[in-house]
Amino acid sequence: MEGFLSTYGAAIVQMALAGVLALSMYLPLMAGQLSLASPGFYAVGGYVAALLSTKVFTGYPNGEYPIPLIVLEMGIAGVIAAFFALIVGIPALRLRGIYLALATIAFVEVLRIFALNQDELGGAVGIYNIPQPFFSATRIEYLVLALPLLVGAALFVARLERSRVGRAFVALREDELAASAMGIFPTYYKVLAFTLGAVLAGMAGALNAHILNTWNARQGTFDLAILILAYVLVGGSRTFLGPIIGAAFLVALPEIILREVAGLPGLNPVIATFLRDGRLILFGVLIAISVFFFPYGLITPSLLKSRRKKTPAEHIEPAKATPKVSGGEL
Amino acid sequence: MKALDQSSQQYRRLWWLASRGFAAVVIVLLITAILTTPGGLQNFFNGLAIGGVYAIFALGYTLIFSILRIINFAHGAIFTLGAYFTYFLTGSAVGFNGLLANQKLPFGLPFPLAMLSGGILAGLCGIAIERVAFRPLRAKGADPLLTLVSSLGVAVAIVNIIQLMVGAEIYAYPRNPFGEMPAALNLGTFGGLSQRPIIIRTTQVIIFVVSMVIVVLLTYFINGTKTGKALRAVAEDATTSSLLGINTNRLILITFFVSGLVGGIAGTLVGLSVNVSGPYFGINFGLKGLAVIVLGGLGDIPGAVVGGLVIGVAEAFVPSQQVAYKDAIAFAVLFLVLLLRPQGLLGRAVVQKV
Repeated sequence: MEGFLSTYGAAIVQMALAGVLALSMYLPLMAGQLSLASPGFYAVGGYVAALLSTKVFTGYPNGEYPIPLIVLEMGIAGVIAAFFALIVGIPALRLRGIYLALATIAFVEVLRIFALNQDELGGAVGIYNIPQPFFSATRIEYLVLALPLLVGAALFVARLERSRVGRAFVALREDELAASAMGIFPTYYKVLAFTLGAVLAGMAGALNAHILNTWNARQGTFDLAILILAYVLVGGSRTFLGPIIGAAFLVALPEIILREVAGLPGLNPVIATFLRDGRLILFGVLIAISVFFFPYGLITPSLLKSRRKKTPAEHIEPAKATPKVSGGEL
Repeated sequence: MKALDQSSQQYRRLWWLASRGFAAVVIVLLITAILTTPGGLQNFFNGLAIGGVYAIFALGYTLIFSILRIINFAHGAIFTLGAYFTYFLTGSAVGFNGLLANQKLPFGLPFPLAMLSGGILAGLCGIAIERVAFRPLRAKGADPLLTLVSSLGVAVAIVNIIQLMVGAEIYAYPRNPFGEMPAALNLGTFGGLSQRPIIIRTTQVIIFVVSMVIVVLLTYFINGTKTGKALRAVAEDATTSSLLGINTNRLILITFFVSGLVGGIAGTLVGLSVNVSGPYFGINFGLKGLAVIVLGGLGDIPGAVVGGLVIGVAEAFVPSQQVAYKDAIAFAVLFLVLLLRPQGLLGRAVVQKV
């Protein structure tokens, strides 16, 4: 057990955080908006926590940093991320499909270049020596914070899916014009979905700044946006469970290939080297393949439904299984 | 009703005149600004060189977008591949890392030939990407978003294959690839238009000339050949053109080949200007290419050329104190264009139909 934790402790915590990030991209997608802005808000959240803990709450240079303060930082990071989301979202959400995706990529990149050149944010080196509440190599203790964040976010999204707001999101995804004809104000609900996602990403960033101990402009990049999109699409973009499971799977996969499969006794050394150094190749290929074999993701609503007892009310919603992920043309 | 029609027509005409007038004023002001700022013409020429590469790189994106309405996110990886292929075809050796460490080809091609063959190899890789990541999903009628993800998966795989094979170090092309030439041209004061003498590196001239030759050839290919005509038909309406007997799948393969060819040559040209800076060479460039095609209008071929030149020149005018923000220009432009003129500089607005 000790060995398992020392190998996988950090990965398990990152699985939970990746789940939160995946939910942050799932929320706008629920309303039919393909937004790749999550890494931007994630970076903002991380910088907020890094600045607060190194410049404002400076009473704990080497001692244990109190957990309530981290929770407070996460709250502040969420609020500031929401503020950014409103500024960016209100103009950008007039765009649809691929145009919105491109605008959010531009937002992430502008933010990254800006952070890279700010002396207050540490420039290319970033902010380091962010105080930590735990002193162990495994970092598994961070689950105390990461797991409640993930569970809270998941419960929130699950509840949202069954609420009036969530149904409005789904209506926008299926047909924006029809939804607005039924009295759903598209801009309001799109900005709401975007902002809720931003809050989740900001909180994940604030927590990860403490876990990583350092924060720089490389944390919020286009690459991360793509990775999160892969979490959502591989997991399935139709239920809240899909993104979480997709994230856990794709974070765990390279680690398992690296530590278990490549270390198998009796493995051809060439293949072992390939698995160790080329596991990202496999990762890319697997993403491409999984999209082909599981076009609706690993977890689909029908999969969840078949596990449940059939009730007569289920027959009312057969239209849910349409394969489109985005609203409108892409 | 008729009166209303007439007045709206008049209004539209007035609006057309006003917008063209506004554009003309902006262009005149820009030219004056270029001529009056110190070193303005020098910056302008520097910008044109890199802008030409942006243009042909973006043409690769836009060709595929105009046909499939999908952005090929593996285009940045193709760009990187083209640069590496050229490097090895000139007969240079791999560095000390990677599986192919210290290997080299038994022959070395002269640089222009290596560039062309590198581009052709990159074009073949484009075809392979089409077969692996695009066609299976298209045959299943999958969501375009999924194609985006599968092309990204291929891009991740390509970048890491390069890293595994030849390592992550910087490669530089052989010196004087075009034989003995002066390192720079002195244009003097350009007929008194500039206070300081204008000096242009020979490499920049070569890059610009090669890019413009490619633009001209590509324009001819699209507008002057039968295949080009078929391409335009497929871009207009894929279903109708396949009903009229155009082999859509073959045309898509040709498009991917041409797109990879120009993308690979663009990679070589940038490698010529700076260096081939590792497997991630093309990723940042790929993102800038997105800004270029949006500025020009997605799927718009003349627009991509204009967009590339505009962004190249705009970047060249960033003052040297703020040079770190240079990369932000393309993305700021991308964001603003999307908000103000989503159809691009030369595009026409499309009315959303029910």
